[in-house]
Amino acid sequence: MGIDVDIIFKIAGVGIVVAFLHTILDQVGKKEYAQWVTLFGFIYILFMVASIVSDLFGKIKSVFLFQ
Amino acid sequence: MIKIIGALFIILSTTWAGFEISRHLTERPKQLRWFKSALQSLEAEIMYGHTPLHEAARKLSTQFPKPLSIFFSSFASKLLTVETTVKNAWEASLQEIWKMTSLKQNEYEILAQFGENLGKHDRFTEQKNINLTITHLEREEADAYDRQQRYEKMVKSMGFLSGLLIVILLM
Repeated sequence: MGIDVDIIFKIAGVGIVVAFLHTILDQVGKKEYAQWVTLFGFIYILFMVASIVSDLFGKIKSVFLFQ
Repeated sequence: MIKIIGALFIILSTTWAGFEISRHLTERPKQLRWFKSALQSLEAEIMYGHTPLHEAARKLSTQFPKPLSIFFSSFASKLLTVETTVKNAWEASLQEIWKMTSLKQNEYEILAQFGENLGKHDRFTEQKNINLTITHLEREEADAYDRQQRYEKMVKSMGFLSGLLIVILLM
């Protein structure tokens, strides 16, 4: 359970920082960089979440398929 | 504990880098303005004072702050002590101080071009040359000012935020 809470905080932190970067880059008129930053942040979090979800699926498999 | 110290170091260094870049952005229009007024004083010395070039450069070196004073004093001493042309002395002094300035390659070309024609013609041609260089520098200054207005704040917060992002990613 401890790992779970940690990762939620991490996602929140990345989200906040990326949102700030997006706003700042947007303000100075660097729209394309802002979008790249957001995209990379999104991909990073997606990978993190995907690994957790794969953990979940592994657990489900081990419960129902008796491997 | 070690983790927190490392995180602090990362944030400190990226913030410092951001501030350093923003300092460069602030320095550039200032130095361009100094160069411009130095050229104007040089024009006055040539047109109305009939001062020899090394004398004028020595006077200028006392009037301006750090990078320019070094530049003009080294230019003056080169003209007096070393067997050289004005063009070579100008370029050598320019290269000496170039690392201390925040100026760009464009400005280097403009100033080197100015040195190429310095001390070769009569007063009126010199005046035209100086005016041309001042016009070029004015254009660069407008550009530099624009960049400063735009990016100064951004670079500062970008430094801090990127440090924060790295720390969160590594935690």
